[in-house]
Amino acid sequence: MKLVLYNNYRLGILRDDRVLDVSSAVADLKMSNRTRLMPAVIAQWDKLRGPIERASQGLTGVPLSSVRLRAPDPRPPKLLACFGNYKEFTQRERLPQDMFLKSPESVIGDGDTVELPPHQATIFHHEAELGVVIGRRSKDLPPTREALDAVFGYTCFVDVSGRGLGRPGQASRMGKSFDTFGPMGPCILTADEVPDPNKLQVRLWVNGELRQDYNTDDMEYTVPEVLAFASHYMTLVPGDFICCGTNHQGLGPLQDGDRAEMEIQGIGRFRFSVQDSLKRTWAREIDREMAQRVRGG
Amino acid sequence: MKLVTYDDFKPGLLVGDRVVDITPALGGLGPLDWDEAIPAIIANYQKLQPELERLSRSGGDVPLASVRLRAPNPRPAKILCAVANYLELGARPKPPIDFFFKSPEGVIGDSDTVVLPRAEASIFHHEAELAVVIGKECRKVSAAQAMDYVFGYTAFIDVSGRNLGRVQASTFFGKSFDTFAPMGPCIATADEIPDPHKLQVRLWVDGQLRQDYNTDDMGNPIPDLIEWASGYMTLNPGDMIATGTNHQGLGALQDGDRVEMEIERIGRFTVRVQDPLKRSWPKGVDEALAARMRGETQPAR
Repeated sequence: MKLVLYNNYRLGILRDDRVLDVSSAVADLKMSNRTRLMPAVIAQWDKLRGPIERASQGLTGVPLSSVRLRAPDPRPPKLLACFGNYKEFTQRERLPQDMFLKSPESVIGDGDTVELPPHQATIFHHEAELGVVIGRRSKDLPPTREALDAVFGYTCFVDVSGRGLGRPGQASRMGKSFDTFGPMGPCILTADEVPDPNKLQVRLWVNGELRQDYNTDDMEYTVPEVLAFASHYMTLVPGDFICCGTNHQGLGPLQDGDRAEMEIQGIGRFRFSVQDSLKRTWAREIDREMAQRVRGG
Repeated sequence: MKLVTYDDFKPGLLVGDRVVDITPALGGLGPLDWDEAIPAIIANYQKLQPELERLSRSGGDVPLASVRLRAPNPRPAKILCAVANYLELGARPKPPIDFFFKSPEGVIGDSDTVVLPRAEASIFHHEAELAVVIGKECRKVSAAQAMDYVFGYTAFIDVSGRNLGRVQASTFFGKSFDTFAPMGPCIATADEIPDPHKLQVRLWVDGQLRQDYNTDDMGNPIPDLIEWASGYMTLNPGDMIATGTNHQGLGALQDGDRVEMEIERIGRFTVRVQDPLKRSWPKGVDEALAARMRGETQPAR
């Protein structure tokens, strides 16, 4: 099932490019804030799945193009990101595992705009990533397939990254936490439809040029290993979001006027644009220096 | 006023050594989950204040000793921590501002327990800090306006596992274990604190005074921290900014430790430490770290 939020954060199912309104099935969930709806639906999924499926029966829905899609997990309770985590198409030994937290305030959805801040970053990169949405409260998951039972579903995520900020000699992760630096979409594909999250093709285009094109089988630490690591540190709760890192071969700048599209096989494709009030420019192409440096470890 | 939560995260006011239930004042806020009450009270504080003041005088209260105090801000949407933001008693120049995020899942309160994970950290340190609680949504505020967005202050320990993960990567993830964010005993509203840059911060382990510094040693003051953070992202009611620690006095936390922290005008709270692996480190102040922090501009991780 492909779950979406659309218009005023209504719950819908995406089927064959049509959106079916299933909000009647979750009308009893009293929300003080619409952005809390998806975590609440996920937390009660065992109870709600049947009613949601029944609510969709017989509906023809409306064309996807006629609604305003929202990020499917618009304010995750926690937004965790893997540090590195790809082998970069090499056969190298894997590097130590690490993660960091990104601002949950950064999330935007399909059709939204990444706004580059006036801060003097050396560059703003796109990092297309597989996003994992947590389904149930979990601590100390095993690094094996069983960990996938804690996953609710998967989505596309771009970890927009401002480089060269922070203190001299000490890289800062805060350049990834500007508002609008977390585009996500188009839907959450439920885990039952993803036989192996480490066999998915990830692609990102900027202005029609294919930049990133890699398979999640290149991950250093697989999705279960990522879940094990994160849940050793902290309790994961429904709606928590983990982005699994990116393969840097294909990263490039985001700049004013860019139109980016990201797709993961089976999940779908979403779009966002980029605005920079300072109109800075970078070479509109893959950052080969960065790719080379990361390949070197 | 001193805002607390207690028992099943019921919001209350701390008046002397008594706790006043303020749920009667909150009916107009609609149904709230346990983690929504404090941000909602903060967001609606101006409207609620007369009724809260009336309740605090009405005597509908119970002794503090008879309740289980909880963290006063049990689930902030964001916890931002300033990276090494103290002058270390004047030994180092003012550092450029930087932050990292700490997991809000880590929050615990008075009389709770810090549980050390099995991860092979080189040491687990206590970092006693003054934390700011944001009162109103803000984005891109100037330092001159920033204090208008402060709701109050609390005492916060940034528990820190060192030398985990990719050591050079500055992910600060070793600070995000569950139970690694003790805070208490209350949020003192901003009007209770005449000058947040003149507060004595103290932390004891098993009765031994370890950290004892004044917030006048802070490198970048609170208005500058808020300006910086809100230049990156929208801050919302209940978001927390921990202002950094003075590393002179840091020491190991280990199994069986009893930790007390106090900030003047805010109050004192206590947590215990448990380590299922029963590792041990030298007790007392980590003098090597203290010397390194005095002599270098590179913060410890």
